[in-house]
Amino acid sequence: MNRRTFIRCVGCGAAAAAAQSGLLPEFLGGVQNAMAFDYTKKLSSVEARHYKKKPDGGIECGICPRHCFVTDLERGYCGVRENRDDTYYTLVYGLSCAVNIDPIEKKPLFHFYPGTTAFSIATAGCNVNCKFCQNWEISQVRPEQVDNLDLPPKALVDVCRQRKVPTIAYTYSEPVIFYEYMYDTAELGHRSGVKSVMITGGYIEKQPLAELLPHLDAVKVDLKAIREAYYRDVVGGELQPVLDRLIQMKESGVWLELVYLVVPTLNDTEQEFRDLARWVKTYLGADTPLHFSRFFPQYLLKNLPPTPQRTLETAHSVCRAEGLEYVYLGNLRGHPSESTYCPGCGKIVVGRRGYTIYEYNLKGNLCRFCEKHIPGLF
Amino acid sequence: MSKVAVVKWAEPGVEDGLTSEQYSAMLAAGFEAFGKPDFLAKMLRRNRPDSIEKGLFSTPDSRADVVGIKTNCLTRRNATPIALAKALARALTGSGFDENNIIIWDRTCWELAQADYKINVSFSGTRCFGTDANGVGYSEEFYGSGPVNSLVSRILTEIVSHSINLPVLKDHWLAGVSAGMKNMYGAIHNPNKYHDNNCTPFCGHINHLEPVRDRHRLTIMDAVNVQYNGGPGYKGQYLSFYGGLIISEDPVACDRIGVEVVEHLRRRNRMPPLQAAGRPAKHIDAAAELGLGESNLEKIDLRVVDVDGTGSVSEGELLG
Repeated sequence: MNRRTFIRCVGCGAAAAAAQSGLLPEFLGGVQNAMAFDYTKKLSSVEARHYKKKPDGGIECGICPRHCFVTDLERGYCGVRENRDDTYYTLVYGLSCAVNIDPIEKKPLFHFYPGTTAFSIATAGCNVNCKFCQNWEISQVRPEQVDNLDLPPKALVDVCRQRKVPTIAYTYSEPVIFYEYMYDTAELGHRSGVKSVMITGGYIEKQPLAELLPHLDAVKVDLKAIREAYYRDVVGGELQPVLDRLIQMKESGVWLELVYLVVPTLNDTEQEFRDLARWVKTYLGADTPLHFSRFFPQYLLKNLPPTPQRTLETAHSVCRAEGLEYVYLGNLRGHPSESTYCPGCGKIVVGRRGYTIYEYNLKGNLCRFCEKHIPGLF
Repeated sequence: MSKVAVVKWAEPGVEDGLTSEQYSAMLAAGFEAFGKPDFLAKMLRRNRPDSIEKGLFSTPDSRADVVGIKTNCLTRRNATPIALAKALARALTGSGFDENNIIIWDRTCWELAQADYKINVSFSGTRCFGTDANGVGYSEEFYGSGPVNSLVSRILTEIVSHSINLPVLKDHWLAGVSAGMKNMYGAIHNPNKYHDNNCTPFCGHINHLEPVRDRHRLTIMDAVNVQYNGGPGYKGQYLSFYGGLIISEDPVACDRIGVEVVEHLRRRNRMPPLQAAGRPAKHIDAAAELGLGESNLEKIDLRVVDVDGTGSVSEGELLG
């Protein structure tokens, strides 16, 4: 959806009953011109989970570290969870505004069933406001401002089974804000043999994540920087809760990969790459895949150039030197660092060009050449 | 000194709301007390080239004089009264504005309709529609005045040349009060990004966005029945009759006086001050620091008048 579509997309339906009330017809025009519709009825009204009612009114959302205090008729920072008379509702349950079947490599998840596809969905909304967001037209708007497809969990799982798509990916915007939709779909999917992967910024509270993780097969986290100031100034969030959740994910055993978007002048120093590598190695392990992704100017950072290839290669070499075993470069089509190399013998075990697998040298999780164990789900 | 006029209806028996004729009398008294009885007529002439003023052209360029009246229709039972919007529209047409160049608006058509406004996008009569109306929507470009950036309603960026803010004064659980500046949350596409820290300094940021700031001419705040607690959702048990309109060109000074009224009603109803209730209206001082207006009561030139059923005007008291 482009911006023009976004501007137009808040449709105007038939005259609503509300428009037929009788005040001032001579003054404000007749009902034949009425185009009001109750947009709230186009949204879901499923009670949200993980919130507390405050003794003096209002609720406190507990889904993410923001802990929004939300009063009657207001919404949390994400724009998709609303207090109605001190009951908190998710407005996007079963309402996908972006749907596509993507290669799993696009997420990117490189150690998770390479060459398979993921039925990818998103709803409107996000709990941060990254100035570089490539999907701001859905992530930074309210659900009534986009076209929504009615796709409840069962329909979603059914379509995956019919089309033989093995995995559902909750992606594009921020799945934490459509937690209930994701949770129920993932749970139902597991009962039906459909896997689930969450593509997230990891800005979620401990308890909701703990309850969700058993229903997920993999998580990819956008670790946007290793500096708190960047999270404050560029992301509109906090770093420490994300680091805490990464450790929680790793300890849970769910398959985990990281992406670090390298933004020129903002998070691209060698020291940051080194600090990142050391943190990952210490807390997540040297065998945790780390993808460096190339930035392209958009949304609120149109003033910066694309990330130079040289910077990405520096990030790669710094992290390899620090001992990380699986470091990838993204948005650099055809670069050798798109492929997976065996840390034992150095040979390509999964050869990639873009989203295409051109070489596959794994037997289960073992390198075909030296039989070293390669972590992941293959 | 920033001028603020408070007009209070002095007749009893209007607790259920005022008529548009009563509001008209209050508006007239308000502009008089404000020291600018011809404010609206001067606003009309503001955008016109001298050549038109001097009568060199017989047909004025009315496209330059479209007035947007921003209502607050968040809740059906505590929305900007239609009678007030009607009185203001009548005053505007009486000052020379084309009736069809007056647009009563809010975020969505549905919110207007649920507050009993009739949607009108035709070429006759006062127009009334939301930003979600066909062909309207939000600006293509982002506007920023702080860490969050926003798309702004095209009603402000492309359609109107003058904006009159017509909010309802009420308590707000986060901002302390929802008054004039808070009402402009309904002019952007992502208001949910502006509520942290008691809406501070975010409320000021929204009002500092170029289209909001540059189109703003006047705030006329309805304070007839004021919800002094539990807002912004409607809670009838906290509604108290004050009977006033608060009028100012200065959005900060107008809200500052609004806070005084809410605090007064809270005291009268044995409620703790907003500060003690954990929601000081600190966004008002923050807005003043952005240069949007005056928040210091000592630097606000306040004039309070009472109007009665015969239209006679007398000196009044703000907290009487």
